Amino acid sequence: MVKKSLIALGALMLLFPTMAFAEDPSAATLDMGLSALWIMVAGILVLLMQGGFILLETGSTRMKNAGHVAGKTIFTLGLCSLIYWAVGYGFAFGGDASESLNKFIGVGNFFFDPPISAGDGDGYPSTIFFVFQLAFAAVSLSIAWGGFAERAKLSSYLIYTILFTSVIYPIVAHWIWGGGWLAEDGSQDYAGSTVVHLTGAMGAFAATILLKPRIGKYNKDGSANPISGHNQVFSALSVLLLWVGWFGFNAGSALAVGDGFFGYVAFNTQLGAAGGAVAALLISWLVTGKADIPTMLNGALAGLVAITASCAYVEPWAAVLIGLIAGVLVFLSARFFEKIRVDDPISALSVHGAAGVWGTLANGFFATEELAGKVGVGKAGLFYGGGGEQLWVQFESVVVCGAFAFAASYVLLWIMKKLVGFRVTEEQEIIGLDLSEHGSYGYPEHLKKTGASI
Amino acid sequence: MSSGGTGAYAERLSDIEDIAVLKSVREREQRRLLGSMPHRPAAETAEALNGLHDALIARSIALAEKQMARMGRGAPPVPYAYLLFGSGGRREMTFTSDQDSGIVYADVPSESGNRANAEYFGELSRIVVQLLVQLGYPPCEGNVIASHPPWRRSLSSWEERVDGWFAEPNWENVRYLLIAADGRVVAGDPALLGKLTDRYYFDVLDTPVIARRMLENTLRHKVLVGVFGQLLREPYGENAGGLDIKYGAYIPMVNVFRLMAVRAGIRETGTLARIRALKAAGELTPNEADAAVESFNLILKLRLLAAARIEEGRWVGSGKIAKEQLTSDLVLPLKRALKFGKFMQRKLERAIRDRYRSR
Repeated sequence: MVKKSLIALGALMLLFPTMAFAEDPSAATLDMGLSALWIMVAGILVLLMQGGFILLETGSTRMKNAGHVAGKTIFTLGLCSLIYWAVGYGFAFGGDASESLNKFIGVGNFFFDPPISAGDGDGYPSTIFFVFQLAFAAVSLSIAWGGFAERAKLSSYLIYTILFTSVIYPIVAHWIWGGGWLAEDGSQDYAGSTVVHLTGAMGAFAATILLKPRIGKYNKDGSANPISGHNQVFSALSVLLLWVGWFGFNAGSALAVGDGFFGYVAFNTQLGAAGGAVAALLISWLVTGKADIPTMLNGALAGLVAITASCAYVEPWAAVLIGLIAGVLVFLSARFFEKIRVDDPISALSVHGAAGVWGTLANGFFATEELAGKVGVGKAGLFYGGGGEQLWVQFESVVVCGAFAFAASYVLLWIMKKLVGFRVTEEQEIIGLDLSEHGSYGYPEHLKKTGASI
Repeated sequence: MSSGGTGAYAERLSDIEDIAVLKSVREREQRRLLGSMPHRPAAETAEALNGLHDALIARSIALAEKQMARMGRGAPPVPYAYLLFGSGGRREMTFTSDQDSGIVYADVPSESGNRANAEYFGELSRIVVQLLVQLGYPPCEGNVIASHPPWRRSLSSWEERVDGWFAEPNWENVRYLLIAADGRVVAGDPALLGKLTDRYYFDVLDTPVIARRMLENTLRHKVLVGVFGQLLREPYGENAGGLDIKYGAYIPMVNVFRLMAVRAGIRETGTLARIRALKAAGELTPNEADAAVESFNLILKLRLLAAARIEEGRWVGSGKIAKEQLTSDLVLPLKRALKFGKFMQRKLERAIRDRYRSR
């Protein structure tokens, strides 16, 4: 009986092979599904980087502001998501603009209402692309908060989130990733050293200039005082969270599983981060005589920021070198900003700005012919026979994007400062933003008594 | 450990009875010495300044004895010595140094006699310390001071204490041993301290664990010069750009030559005197000794400068030299001096490690 059934089944399968496999998806669908899955996972990893920013910013600032610093990140993440859905995504990736307008800004897909699944021939569903891009916008925004830390009014976070997410970030993203004029020039910024990190850092720069240094940061004679963060363990953990999240950030930017190229991107990412951590600790040890932990942590992040632009374009040795240089750079840059009396509480300018610039320029030196061809953007760099052309394009995109992000942030924040104010009062700053902006401490047991006596 | 002369000042102070007058002498002389600093070697200023300090302290002790007599406590019942430790012991006090002191007094056979003596010297030290505070010498923050009972003992009690340090050479006790190595008699009977030090030097030599612990203690403060030969300046605060000359240059230098001297059985307490004695004993080559004297003189000068600001009529001391005081002509020799200090630290470390490696 069993034998007969099997023979019959076998015969049927020979006669009607497609019937036996009727439910199986095509190779293209499988490929799309795998990519979708990976981009989704990567998007989640990038979203989790917010946890890194919460701990980084909180750990690097004082206890009296801890609840505010941590909590506002979640609030602005929520607001950022709504704004990006409503307008930001449309300006960055909308395809309805005329050819000349599209060089500058995208139009379309406002209040994004995506198809529920991927269309024929799509590499991934647009929903997942949206989630992934949104997570990037949110990272850039959280970087900017570094310049606001410990003295900006809560309302300024609300206003800047709207401005940054609707206009500033989408325009830069469009220029390089959305088919804008820098994309046409072949600007190589694989996962956003410029788009995400430099843009956020310029927001922080504009804010910290307009806000002026925190009370007690500088003495009358111009010498600086250290304002140590309240928890180095938070800071260290934040770096690990960000580091792991960065695999989504960089390797996810492949936007495909395909032949496994995203693995190469992840591989270079690890090398860059490692180089940054090692170099920063050593340089601080050599120069100051003390191996500074915050500097080392910033070095790891600077390595990651720098390799973000170049992870898909360079050979492993160059990834190591890019990370090492970023680690040294972040140390020198932090000292420089402190010296010129720019109070940058969590070193956003050095980690995301200086290292972002370096990482983007690095492509102009180290990009290889083969990898540029593989990604399909730009040419080989100076050291690989490409001449100075790619370096010039990289330089151009850094200067233009940096200048635009700074100028836009500065003007908008300046207007906001005049209209509604930017900085809390001296008394509120001394009491701490936990109490002045939210009415309760992040560490109530630790601070209740001192708070009452102020 | 040695006794120090009080120099020409002792004579001039010998008939001053009023502490306020002593204070005005200190004030006037310090201003004069500070004013003359640019025109003469730092060692000369330090020598004169410490002559002044010694005379002021000795005179205060004499006044305290008189006060005790007026209070009906009589004269000192037994011979004693008033000791200075720290920079006072080394005759390297600055314009703003604090008091590091102790007392050793002779034993008597009877228990009750010893108790009475302890009471007398307790009261005497309290008065001396108070008078010196009035003269502008703040008490030692680490409580190494004659009014603190552990630092005020009869000779036999001191011997027990020092033996205890040797018996249990933990980190703190070894620190005390090193403090004691700078002990010097500023007033009273020098022989008392001499008896104590005989024992001390007998024990120190050739006790490997003590030598190692002393080395750790001695090298604790790093010389503030980096691997690129750069000065490791203060990064923050009101002294930003300046240098912690006390703990980053002076103390490491003092420590190195102190330990070298102790190991060689040299009982000088001044750093320059130790260097000269080390050279004579062949522990330092003539070149090293010259470099040591040159380096130490420069560091002494910067230390005096750092500790000599007058703010609102008060002497304000700091171990940190200001950025403005570190003029460009000083930076190069200072770097050279610090590199030499680092070199001597390594040399001493090697010598001690090699010496005891096989044990």
